[in-house]
Amino acid sequence: MASAATIRLQVESALARRYPSALTPPPRMVRPVVSSGVAPLDELLRGGLPVGALTELVGDTCSGRMSLALSFLSQITSSGKVCAWIDASNTFNPASAASVGVDLKRLLWVRCGVREGMSEQETRKFALPSSFFTPKPATKGLHGGGHGTHPRDEVKGLSAAVGRFLSNDTVNARCAEPISKARPTPQHFEANLQPSTASVRTPRRARIYDAIEQALRSTDLLIQTGGFSAIVLDFGEIASEVVARIELSTWHRYRVASEQTQSSIVLLSQYACAKSSSELQLRLSPFEDTCEERTVFTGLSARAEILRQRFPTAPTNVVPMRKPPQRACDARWDYRASWAGPL
Amino acid sequence: MSSFPELYACIYVRELPAQALLRLRPELAEKPCVILEGDAPGQTVCSLNTRARLLGLRQGMTKVEVETFESVVVLQRSVKMEGFVRVILLECAGAFSPRLEDRSLNGIFLCAVDAAGTESLFGPPQLLAKQIRQRIRSVGVVASVTVSANLQTAICLARGLKRGVAIQVVSRGDEARSIAELPVAVLDITGTQAETFGSWGIRNVAALAVLPEKSLIARLGQDAKRLLQLANGIRPHLFQPIAIPFVLEEQVELDFPLDDLESLLFGLSTMLEQLIVRAKSRVLALASVTITLRLDGGGSHERKVNPRVPTNDKQLWLKLLHLDLEGHPPSSSILGVHLFAEPGATSKVQLGLFSPQLPEPGKLDVTLARIAAIVGEGNVGQAILEDTHRAGDFHVEPFCVTTLEPPVPETSSLLCLRLLRPAEPTRVEVHRGLPHQIKFRSRSYLVEKAYGPWLDGGDWWNEAIWGNEQWDVIGKATDSAVLVCRLARDFIQNDWRVAGLYD
Repeated sequence: MASAATIRLQVESALARRYPSALTPPPRMVRPVVSSGVAPLDELLRGGLPVGALTELVGDTCSGRMSLALSFLSQITSSGKVCAWIDASNTFNPASAASVGVDLKRLLWVRCGVREGMSEQETRKFALPSSFFTPKPATKGLHGGGHGTHPRDEVKGLSAAVGRFLSNDTVNARCAEPISKARPTPQHFEANLQPSTASVRTPRRARIYDAIEQALRSTDLLIQTGGFSAIVLDFGEIASEVVARIELSTWHRYRVASEQTQSSIVLLSQYACAKSSSELQLRLSPFEDTCEERTVFTGLSARAEILRQRFPTAPTNVVPMRKPPQRACDARWDYRASWAGPL
Repeated sequence: MSSFPELYACIYVRELPAQALLRLRPELAEKPCVILEGDAPGQTVCSLNTRARLLGLRQGMTKVEVETFESVVVLQRSVKMEGFVRVILLECAGAFSPRLEDRSLNGIFLCAVDAAGTESLFGPPQLLAKQIRQRIRSVGVVASVTVSANLQTAICLARGLKRGVAIQVVSRGDEARSIAELPVAVLDITGTQAETFGSWGIRNVAALAVLPEKSLIARLGQDAKRLLQLANGIRPHLFQPIAIPFVLEEQVELDFPLDDLESLLFGLSTMLEQLIVRAKSRVLALASVTITLRLDGGGSHERKVNPRVPTNDKQLWLKLLHLDLEGHPPSSSILGVHLFAEPGATSKVQLGLFSPQLPEPGKLDVTLARIAAIVGEGNVGQAILEDTHRAGDFHVEPFCVTTLEPPVPETSSLLCLRLLRPAEPTRVEVHRGLPHQIKFRSRSYLVEKAYGPWLDGGDWWNEAIWGNEQWDVIGKATDSAVLVCRLARDFIQNDWRVAGLYD
C-alpha cells in the first residue's frame, strides 16, 4: 500500500499544471514589526513598522511625520529599549515627546548644526526708575514749601557758573566761527587685530550641509555601537534638493547595518531619498482640519499612504484565476493636542 | 599573638631611583641609564641600571666621567617619583599580608612582610617568595625576596644577596649559617665599628658570631650584644606595622616639551596599564581617571574622564582620554603627566535571556564621546524636562542607560510641535485683531483658523512683563500647501515669529 507521502506526490503531480505544488504550503517568513502606536496605520501595515529595516516617512511640513515617529518611539521605550533621535535641524521638542509618552531617559538626542549664542530673550524685564521709589524730601522753610526756595539760595553756584562761562573755550569762540572741540584722548587701547576666537559667519547653505554631515556620521557611529532599537533620522525641515544629494550608498549601508543589528531606522524627510534601500515608504499628506466647532485648537486629521513596501503580501505558489482583492493602501486617523484630551 | 610559627618575607629593591624612573619608560629598558643627583656642577651618579653597570659605570661617578661613556642616557633623580613607587610597592606587598613594616633607606626599598599563617593561602615559603616577586614584577620593578623565621636575618640576607639571586629562603634554625658568609656590613654597623672590625681582621659574619660576648661588649659597648644576636640569627624584633596605602596614581616627567597628543598616548598607555593592573589585583575597576598635564610656562591642564560604568579596558580608557583631550587641548606644550584614578566596583551587568538588547556601556561611552566631538559637547545626551512652562524648558544631560521601569505610553495619538530654534521671523497681516495672512518661507498662507491669543512668558511674582502672546494657526496657501503653526507675537515691538510647526 502506498504511503501518504507517495499519494500526496501523485496528487500534486496530477494537479501540477493547474495548481503547482498544491498540497505543499509555501514557506512563510515572519517579519518582526513594532506597533507604530496608531491603530489604523498598524492595521494597514499588518502590525506596524518593520524591525531591522529602514522606514521612510515622507511628507511636507505639517504632515504628522514627527508625531508618528514619536508615537513609534513611545512604543519602543515602553518595552525598556533605548532609541536615538538624530536631529539634523535642531527642532526636536522634548516636551512634546514626553507628552506622547516617550521615556526621555531612554532617548538619546543628538542635536546637529547647533549654533552658539542662539538663546533668545523671551521675557522682558520692566522696572520703574529708582527715582520713583524715593520719597519726596520733606518741605522746609518759612512758608512750608511750595513757594520756591529762600532768596539766599538763588546765588548758590553762581560763581562757578560764571567761571565756566568765562573759560577759554567759550571766550575764544566767535559767533560765526565753528567751535572746534578737542578730541577726547582714548582711555583704552584697542587692538587692531580681531581676537582669534571671533566667530566666523558661515552661510546658511553651508550650515545645512554641515548639519547633514554631522547627522550621517552620528548615525553611522550609533549603528556600529548597536543596542539602539530605533534610530530616527530627522531631515524633516531640510529641503528636498539638499536631502536628495545624499549618496544612495549611505542608505544602503544603513539598511545592511540595521538588518544586522535588528534596529529600526526611521527617516523623516520631505523627499523619498532612500529609494530601494527602504523597506517601507509612507507618504503623509498635509494635515486636514477636523472641522470641529471649537475655540481651542484640539487636533488635526492625518492621512498616510504606502508608497513602497518590500514584502507586501505573503508569498503563495497558487496562481490565482481571478484578480485578487486589493488592499487599501492608505489610512486616516486623528491627532489630538496634548491639552485637548480624548474624544 | 597567633599560634602560627613566625615567618617573615623581606622585599628588597635595589637602585630604586633608576627603577622608579625607568619602569614607565620601556623604550629605555635596553639602554644604559644613569641617574644623577646633586646640584649642577657637582652632580654624581646615585643609581644606574644593569646595562650601565656592565658598561663600567659606578655609583659616585661625576657627570664628566659619565660623559666619557658613549650612548649613556642621563636622567635626573626624582624623589617624588620614588615616593610614588614606594607606595605602589607597599600596596603590592599588602596583597600578601596586612602586616607590613617599611624599612626603606635612601635609594633602597626594604619592606618586611609578616607572612605567618599564610601557607594555606600562598603555599610554602618558596612559592610565596616567587609570587611576591612576580607581583612586584607586574608593576615594572625588579625585586629580590628573602624569607626567614627571623626578621633581622631576612633583612641582613636581603642586603647581602648577590646580584642575580632573586629569591632565598632560610629554613627554620638555619639562620646563622645562611648569613655566615656575608660581609659584616650587612649587620647595619656604624663606621667606627666597621673600622674596628677591619683592624681585628673580621671580614664576615661568621667570624663575628664566634667572638666571646662579654669581651666584645667590654670593647664595643652594649651595641655589641645586638651585633652578636644579629650574627647568630636570634635577634628579636618588635614588628611595627604600617597602614597600607592604596592610591591609584602615576606620574611621569617628559624629557622635552611635547605638543603632539598621539605621542602622549604612548606614555598614557603604559601608565594606564599599571593603574589597571593595580586595580585588578583588588578586584576593582577604574571608575574615573583625572589627567593633569604640567604645561610649559608653569600652568597645568586638568581633565576628568568619567565613563558610565567602571571598566578595566585599557583601549577604552585610551580612546576616551584621547577624545577628551582632542576636544579640550592644552594651551601649551606638555612637560609632565599625572594620572589619578578612582577605583570602583567592577561592573555588574546581569543580562537576562529575555531582557532587551541595550548598548554596551563601554562602547556607548566611546560613541558618545565621538559624537560629542562631531556635534559639540552639550548637544548629545538625554533631555531632562524642567518644572516650568517657558520655552527652552529642558536641559541636556549625559546619556546613560537606565534600568528603571518604563512609563506606559499614551493610547491616543497626540500631536507634536516641532520647535524652530530660533523662532523664524514672519510677516502677519492682521484683520480685526486676528491673523489673516501669513508670509512664511517665501509662501503666503491665508489663515483658515486662528486660536488664541494666549499670553506667554511671565511670572506673576516678579516684574517681568507678559509681553508675548501665542496663536495656533491653520493656514492654507494657494497651491494647497498647509501650515499649522504656533505664532508668537511680541506685542511690545509688534514682532511676529513662527515659534513652531505642528508636525
